[in-house]
Amino acid sequence: MEHRIDAWLLLAVVGILGASLVTQHAVAEALGAQLLVRQLMWVCAGMLTLLVLSRIRLDLYARLAPVVYGVGLAGLVAVLLFGDVRSGTRGWFAVGPLTFQPSEFARLSTLLVVAAWLGRRSGGRLSIREASVVVALVGGAAALVAIEPDLGVTLTYLPVAVAGLWLGGLPRWTWIALVLLAVVAGGVTWNSVLKPFQKERVLTVLDPERDPYGAGYQVRQSKIAIGSGGFAGQGVGHGSQSLLRYLPAQHTDFAFAVWAEATGFVGVTALLLAYALMLYRIGMAGVLADTRHGVVLAILVASWLAFQVIVNLGMVLGWLPTTGITLPLFSYGGSSLLSTCAALGVVQSIWRHRLVNQ
Amino acid sequence: MEIREDLTPVRRRAVILLAAVFLIFGALHLRMAQLQLVQGLHWRRMAENNRLRRLPLSAIRGRIYDRRGEVLADNVPTWNLLLFPDEARHLDRTLLFVSSLGVEDAATLHRRLDERGIDRLAPLVVGENLDWRQVARVRAHQSDYPELSVVAGFRRHYPLGRDTAHVVGHLRLASREELDADPDLDPTSRVGATGIEALAEPFLAGRPGQRWVVVSAVGRQLGVVREESSAAGRDLGVTLDARLQRVAAAALGDRHGAVVALDPDSGAVRVMYSSPSFDPELFSGSLSQRDWQAVAEDPDHPLQNRCLQGTYPPGSTIKPFLAVAALSTGVVTPDWTVRCSGGITLYGHRFRCWQRWGHGVVDLTRSIEGSCDVYYYQIGQKLGIEGMAAWLGDFGFGRRTGIGLPAEADGLVGTPEWSRRVRGSPWYPGEAVSVSIGQGPVLVTALQLARGYAALANGGHLVTPHIVVDPERARTVDLELDPAVLAEVVHGLDLVVHGEHGTARSLARLPIAGKTGTAQVIRLQEGVDSNDLAPNLQHHAWFVGWAPVEDPKVVVALVVEHGGGGGSIAAPVAGTVFSAALSNRDGGHGALPPGE
Repeated sequence: MEHRIDAWLLLAVVGILGASLVTQHAVAEALGAQLLVRQLMWVCAGMLTLLVLSRIRLDLYARLAPVVYGVGLAGLVAVLLFGDVRSGTRGWFAVGPLTFQPSEFARLSTLLVVAAWLGRRSGGRLSIREASVVVALVGGAAALVAIEPDLGVTLTYLPVAVAGLWLGGLPRWTWIALVLLAVVAGGVTWNSVLKPFQKERVLTVLDPERDPYGAGYQVRQSKIAIGSGGFAGQGVGHGSQSLLRYLPAQHTDFAFAVWAEATGFVGVTALLLAYALMLYRIGMAGVLADTRHGVVLAILVASWLAFQVIVNLGMVLGWLPTTGITLPLFSYGGSSLLSTCAALGVVQSIWRHRLVNQ
Repeated sequence: MEIREDLTPVRRRAVILLAAVFLIFGALHLRMAQLQLVQGLHWRRMAENNRLRRLPLSAIRGRIYDRRGEVLADNVPTWNLLLFPDEARHLDRTLLFVSSLGVEDAATLHRRLDERGIDRLAPLVVGENLDWRQVARVRAHQSDYPELSVVAGFRRHYPLGRDTAHVVGHLRLASREELDADPDLDPTSRVGATGIEALAEPFLAGRPGQRWVVVSAVGRQLGVVREESSAAGRDLGVTLDARLQRVAAAALGDRHGAVVALDPDSGAVRVMYSSPSFDPELFSGSLSQRDWQAVAEDPDHPLQNRCLQGTYPPGSTIKPFLAVAALSTGVVTPDWTVRCSGGITLYGHRFRCWQRWGHGVVDLTRSIEGSCDVYYYQIGQKLGIEGMAAWLGDFGFGRRTGIGLPAEADGLVGTPEWSRRVRGSPWYPGEAVSVSIGQGPVLVTALQLARGYAALANGGHLVTPHIVVDPERARTVDLELDPAVLAEVVHGLDLVVHGEHGTARSLARLPIAGKTGTAQVIRLQEGVDSNDLAPNLQHHAWFVGWAPVEDPKVVVALVVEHGGGGGSIAAPVAGTVFSAALSNRDGGHGALPPGE
């Protein structure tokens, strides 16, 4: 039996998208109106995708997952071979005026395949072999993104792997081992992978006044923008930080700061509540699902979106280094918006196929 | 019905995960409250004291040196006034203040403000070449108008001024198309407009940079956020001889005309002066509409470089080339003679010699020495118009020399085919008679003529004139002339200066070989004396030649517009240039720079 789609979830999504468009409109004067028009088109395409995917039967997502995962990997390989380079990252296909980012879609396909694989096995903790499969599925795709190299998108594969292992269940000692491994990996990354400008960003988090006009400049500007929003905000289109004297990325990575300056604590609270509502409804879809596949799939989506929201806000507030992770549904960007809407469509499908009265 | 598996453990883990997420959300929200509610005032004050500016860093343009290292184009420091319009509290008041400085009127400022792009961090250059009083006034009112900023810049300076205005060229503002094509340019960027400045633009121009700075509310710079440093352009050494250029300019004086001097072996340009000239620094600052109109609409066309844009009938200076043609093709021998009685009748029309009473019996060398027209009427008949055109083409007439400077003229060598195709009228046989003495449908530039004579001087090699040494472009074509033929013609050109009947006997003290020319602007009616003509109908006066005769070091081609006789007007001016060039060589200035 099938239920109606979750109106609360839809309401949260529409609310976030609305706030996003208001913000894009506020910066449109500086960045060109065509961005706003393009984002509107993406929003329409995203909503359509959401509604279409919510009609698909849940078990189909499990059965088709391997194929979708294969297509996702193929897209990542193709973009490495034939993609366009933008600011040093080979991660885009250009189709006319639109650009398409395969790494955003590959994450969704990875998520589907991990959920399908975990959903097939019965209860009990994961064996090391099984855990390795999860890590390999996520790591394979993430490695291809890391080659582009796109640090921000690569990092968003991390919650998929961690949440997958957590839901599958690992013996306690394995978690301890994993944390130790993460520390070692972090050390290696710091010494041999990160470029000087990336290290500078990390150091800036630890000491914001370290270089107020250099590496710390963006975050400092972001804090000034948020802080000067005050209680009720300066009004859309009036924030001096967002209008002028501000650095790039105000429509992508730092879009939240623009919103915060314009609408103040009131608007920030409303937006955070909308995100909380969205994650809560996704969680409900998961907890009420009647198959292991449904639970895992919904919680993986929730983990991924929560991770992006937390890391982006952490960055905007100066708690985390700037990594280029966008705010889902809010930052400008067609591929990210479309893949998020697709994931939410899948969640709606889980909600519609839940059992009641069990 | 299958037995439902127990989903409790996975649900429990899901709830734990969600709880963790909401915990972090709560922490984020608390942080927002701290920033916006507790510290809100503090941050708002920071916002007001926080302005980011993008300062353009202009690239210093490369200097231009002559062959001895004398500076032809330099940069001098200057003060420019920048306006950051978005920082202004009362933009109208600011614009009023700027216009009161006298750098720009308010209407123009408003128009430029409207045309500005969307880059809000970039300033508008509202004044250039500020004097110290203007700088002092801006500084005094700095706290009233923090959106104004005086910055140091550079202005192009041409030490030789009018003497090199055409050949060195000047700058102009970048056009809209150039701005669209090159993101490095801004609306106040200047690019080479003419002369060497245009020819060597990519070499001379550097790459501008920019610097993002944070300034306080009163315009004080707090720190540099990011900087892309500018790259200076490269200095350029050219083949010109500044000393000789000055002599040529002074020798020509107020007369309109052109002087070109080349190294006959390489084609390196030593002198290129066009008169009347103009002040090139007129274009270095912002040029007012009035100044521009005054220069552009001057009936004397001072902006035109007559050396390569002015085309004139060559007159008698064409004769040596036809002599080479006639000897080389064998239609005459050096001993062949003509009796000149002051004219000849061809096609039922009387063609006169300039020497009304005739030259008597004339052979080839004497025909050059005395510039006998009748001799060349006959040679022209023997060669035919096609033959003459082909040989003139070999010597480079009728097409650009390839010097690389903008707007070079082709000149013209008329043929029956040209007449049909371009002029759309039939060719008259009498026109060929005119061509044989350099009149009618044949037009040359001073540069073409200098190159042609360089070929006579250097043993028959047609060089490519150049100002910047460039091995790729400096092609030389061997015309494969018989040395005996050349020797015969050179002997005639020697006699022009040193023979007892030579038309340039006044220069006999100098080791020159050359040819005078008097090019008619209109055909003289029977019985009219050329001295009675109106000034703008007077003949053009030519002198073209080289020195020393046996060891040619310099070729000079000189035309004086409406000057009158080549021997009486052009030859003395050329003599001044030649003696300067020769004393140059003997004056112990040292060896020529390598590579020329």
